Amino acid sequence: MRIIIAGAGDVGFHLAKLLAYEEQDIILIDKDANTLKQASQNLDVGTIKGSSTSYKILDEAGIQNADLLIAVTSSEETNLTTAIIGKYLGAKRTVARIENVEYLLNKEKLDLKELGIDEIISPESLAAKEIKRLLKEIALTDTFDFDEGKLSLIGVNVDGNSPIAGKTLIETAHLNPNHNFVTVAILRNNETIIPRGETAFMQGDHAYFITQPDGVDRVLSLSGKRKQGVKNIMILGGSKVGFHAAKRLSRKFNVKLIESNKEKCFEFADQLKNVMVINGDGRDVDLLEEEGIQEMDAFIAVTGNSETNIISCLVAKNHDVKKTVSLVENIDYIHLSQNIGVDTMINKKLIAANFIFRYIRQGDVINLTSIHGVDAEILEFIVKAESKITEKMVRDMEFPKEAIIGGVVRNGVGYTAMGDFQFRPKDRVVVLCRPQCIHAVESYFM
Amino acid sequence: MRFNLRLIGNILGLLLFLNGSFILLCIPFSIYYNEPWLPILASGLITSAAGAVLWYLTKKNKNKELRKKDGYLIVTLGWFFMSLFGTLPFVLSGAIPDFTDAFFETISGFTTTGASILTDIESTPKGILFWRSLTQWIGGMGIIVLAVAILPLLGIGGMQLFIAEAPGISPDKMKPRIKDVAKRLWLIYLGLTFAETLLLMAGGMTFFDSINHGLTTMATGGFSTKNASVAHYDSAYIQYVIIAFMFLAGTNFTITYYGLKGKFRKVWENEEFRMYIIIVSLLAVIISFFVFSHDWAGFEKSFRDSLFQVVSVITTTGYVTADYTTWAPFVTIIFFLLMFLGASAGSTAGGIKVVRHTLLFKNSFLEMKRQLHPSAVIPVRLNNSAVSRDITYNVLAFVMIYLLTFSVGVFLISFTGEDFNTTLGAVATTLGNIGPGLGEVGPVNNFASITPFGKWVLSFLMLLGRLELFTVLILFNPNFWKKY
Repeated sequence: MRIIIAGAGDVGFHLAKLLAYEEQDIILIDKDANTLKQASQNLDVGTIKGSSTSYKILDEAGIQNADLLIAVTSSEETNLTTAIIGKYLGAKRTVARIENVEYLLNKEKLDLKELGIDEIISPESLAAKEIKRLLKEIALTDTFDFDEGKLSLIGVNVDGNSPIAGKTLIETAHLNPNHNFVTVAILRNNETIIPRGETAFMQGDHAYFITQPDGVDRVLSLSGKRKQGVKNIMILGGSKVGFHAAKRLSRKFNVKLIESNKEKCFEFADQLKNVMVINGDGRDVDLLEEEGIQEMDAFIAVTGNSETNIISCLVAKNHDVKKTVSLVENIDYIHLSQNIGVDTMINKKLIAANFIFRYIRQGDVINLTSIHGVDAEILEFIVKAESKITEKMVRDMEFPKEAIIGGVVRNGVGYTAMGDFQFRPKDRVVVLCRPQCIHAVESYFM
Repeated sequence: MRFNLRLIGNILGLLLFLNGSFILLCIPFSIYYNEPWLPILASGLITSAAGAVLWYLTKKNKNKELRKKDGYLIVTLGWFFMSLFGTLPFVLSGAIPDFTDAFFETISGFTTTGASILTDIESTPKGILFWRSLTQWIGGMGIIVLAVAILPLLGIGGMQLFIAEAPGISPDKMKPRIKDVAKRLWLIYLGLTFAETLLLMAGGMTFFDSINHGLTTMATGGFSTKNASVAHYDSAYIQYVIIAFMFLAGTNFTITYYGLKGKFRKVWENEEFRMYIIIVSLLAVIISFFVFSHDWAGFEKSFRDSLFQVVSVITTTGYVTADYTTWAPFVTIIFFLLMFLGASAGSTAGGIKVVRHTLLFKNSFLEMKRQLHPSAVIPVRLNNSAVSRDITYNVLAFVMIYLLTFSVGVFLISFTGEDFNTTLGAVATTLGNIGPGLGEVGPVNNFASITPFGKWVLSFLMLLGRLELFTVLILFNPNFWKKY
């Protein structure tokens, strides 16, 4: 597949990295020579220096034979123009990154497909969605639902209170006679482990499970956590992410938003009906205390400055806020989150890159998600009659070591896939695997 | 900054010419009822001629630019001169020989107040009565809004004049050009007046009475052609028709426009309109319950009388079907307070207006919240969007100045020797452009007994109320006259 990526910023770079694992022909276009140099040194991609809206440059990139054109420069106008021109010149599919969410909300009235843009993404809006997802259950560090909650992926921290600390997976299975969850990944010291039966949980681990709906409580009790809902949320920073997050969250929770720019505050107060907008500096601890940071269930720091976000999350942790989420610009910081005490760090460009990656995989894979900090992808497949694994049992199928089957949704009911589970056509299978072996895993479902 | 005197004179001339033409419209009634029509013809010609001369003398103005200051001056002077020339039919025909009385009656008409000094309305010539009703109709929507609508030359400066004459919290413009807005406003106004006239005739009123009541209802004026006002017509149909049209006249005309175009969502989303309906229905029910329990004539009649009086006072019309001051002291207090309410902004009603009260009420409530969260940004929300601080301040100032003007007015009128009730009632009712007050100027009495000094003060208050204070008071601010 020939894929052209316009814009070698963080989104473009991360996307190129994800796609390069798949052995695709990737061409990066950017105006900045240094960025391109860095990309070509680290990734197996082709690069062209120039403007992505120029005919000559697109022609040089082989737009006529391109299967996909992804415009993810920092300028919305450039992206839209690139996608439109690219489609006209022969690209099969186009994706453009936008900032104005109006395009997302008025899809029926403003049909961008007609103009030649097949998919639009807004990193800010995606990040806000992500934040909302993260706050579903405070005791969990991460949750993701498959098939409307028939199966869920959940993450927990293993600490001294957890009964499972020090136990192997086999021992844990004895504590869970119903077998309603499966351990799919463990994040230990920035390293992702795909666990086997003899792997043991250690204190400080970050463990991920695929569970049936009734398994969530069991996981919580085995990891020594109490179930807790969210009620009060404080958002620091009136960035676009902050705005979208406040808008989404204020439908269900009490939200306070702190922003230092007075005019911006008024604008937000105008548009966010149920949010209390506070004008002040988020680094001012007195202000945070005055506004009741100790009463908050969650603290979300989304200012434009990563360091401010991280530090203010630490301040929140210090005031017993149970859940902290910090937006960071620097992707390398994400792995630090557990070590320094911020519950979750998110990067909007990473989220955007993953979203596009999922879009590209559409067709073979029906759903795909990735977990913050974990070097693995969660995929969802449908078993076909002619698939390799049809009618086979889990233990007989010689699945790659770098992948693990989490569960199956059959006729609207979620099951955890134990060794004697037999696949049937139309089953929806949730798999966790490392990026390198996505192709290998896919072949089982062809 | 200098005033554009030539242009000001030119526009004033046009306004007077229009005014004179309106006076001539009364002649057919005089002829039909066999009354002397010469005085009316003379008044019309004098007014039009004065206007034409003024217009001709100032015709050669190169500078067509109209600034804010010019706008305020034109509107205030325009209203003053119109009232001045408007007295001519009264004085020349001998219907109201005294100039002070005539001026009071005229300005009470133009400002749509409806406070009258005529003791026997029914014996006054019909042509004169028609002029009396017509003054209210002209003043209701505003002659300058009319001028903007029909005269091409006011195209550019029209907005300045429009704002000065129809002030308040600016409604969303229904059309991009001010001329089109003014045209639509007048068309709705004309259409509704016509509709009411037909409906009243269908109820058995004579054509003359129907058209007069139509003119003064839509203007929320309240001049009637009968001594007993609307109580003269003991017909439920007629009274309900008038209630409905008073209510419409007190509704923002932009809202009526959307209603006529079928955009009912937009109508219902308007917070002021909702509040207006709630206040009217709530008060009508409470008062009718009270009136009924004190053995009034039957439930329907109690309800109708209560609703009629509530709508009449809230919309600042001032028609009377029952004397609310005789019901009970607490009902009198309710009506006194209602004089400060006013109907919707952008309607022909006077007073403080529901939207300002809503804003103030919300702001006062939120002020407590602001004390608790000093750094929070908590704007007042109206129609689902935040109201800027500037507007809130402006409304605060308006209400403050309104109450201050009321106090000063009460103080001045107290010198005329009127009793406490009469003084408060007279000032509140003229400032709010309502009509009937309390005590000696209550619903069944009139203003004839007030001293000339009192009449001049009240006349000034009426003008202040109609032009919503700022437009007139700004002329008394030294900064207005500074050249730099």
